Amino acid sequence: MGLLQGASELFPVSSLGHAVIVPSLLHWTFKQSDPSFVPFLVLLHLGTATALLILYRDQWVAIIRGFFTAAVRGQMKTDSERLAMLLLVGTIPAAVLGVFLESRIKSLFASPYEAAIFLIANGMLMLGFEMLRRRAERRALSAGVSRAEQEAHFASAERISFRAAAVVGACQALAFLPGISRSGVTIGGGLLAGLRHQEAARFSFLLATPVILGAGVLEIPQLFASGVPVAEYVASAVLSGIAAYASARFLLRYFRSGRLDPYGWYCIAAGLASLALLHFGL
Amino acid sequence: MKSQSLAVALGALGVIFIVIAVLYAVGVLQLFASTTSGPHYKHAVLFAVLAVASLVAANFARPKTAA
Repeated sequence: MGLLQGASELFPVSSLGHAVIVPSLLHWTFKQSDPSFVPFLVLLHLGTATALLILYRDQWVAIIRGFFTAAVRGQMKTDSERLAMLLLVGTIPAAVLGVFLESRIKSLFASPYEAAIFLIANGMLMLGFEMLRRRAERRALSAGVSRAEQEAHFASAERISFRAAAVVGACQALAFLPGISRSGVTIGGGLLAGLRHQEAARFSFLLATPVILGAGVLEIPQLFASGVPVAEYVASAVLSGIAAYASARFLLRYFRSGRLDPYGWYCIAAGLASLALLHFGL
Repeated sequence: MKSQSLAVALGALGVIFIVIAVLYAVGVLQLFASTTSGPHYKHAVLFAVLAVASLVAANFARPKTAA
């Protein structure tokens, strides 16, 4: 579960959806309705967040320093200060929606059917984001330019508007639905806001870190109180972190010229296959 | 957008959010919570973050005097 979650968390394929569907398909004796299921997933997310913190350690130091400097001064002067404020603005919508919709969303976790349907929807969203992006590329650029030139035309994460950061942040809330990918919708939102693919991925990963960390820290006491094998769960979180680190490195390289389409098609195929397998009880 | 009145309004909002965060943390406020008793730390942390954001925004909105 740890490897699965860590590998699928940062890929735009919904780790939560996979965490709900795969145990059912493989007949793992894992009770998804168990009160410790969501805290267990959050602990795995904590492993992912730690991996992201390590990956972006220098940037996080600059962001935290930039936040305090800009907050006290009341002005943003550097890219790090602007990025810190963008992340604050982007985090608030997801945090508000997460806290107030949490119990309703948790009730969806028990059904792998719903996760499979949302996974198909996630795939369609990815394809839709890329379709809109291609339209923007056609409007902005003449035909015959290379992928590198296409990407260079778009902006870095620090140049996104505050309104766009809030919208991308609100998109994160969709990822509370199992099957909808947090990284997928935030990368897609970043693309619509005019970011380069690689920068959209970086902004998505930076935006995810405080929400995942915050949710993890708040859920951990619940995990320990339920009498579950903590050592095994922590080992899973470590595996999740290792897989997430490798995934993030791969994705940042992939998005230099890659697009979301392959992940979109994968989600549609995986969702349809899961529905068929669940329906026929295979 | 720089405005003294906007800065004051955002500052007041920040103080209200701090009060709400404290009320959730000590278990006095149960509004929009999944259970009807005990402290609600998630809600408390959320309102603390909103308070910080409001106070930062207030400082940004405050007209700066030339040094």
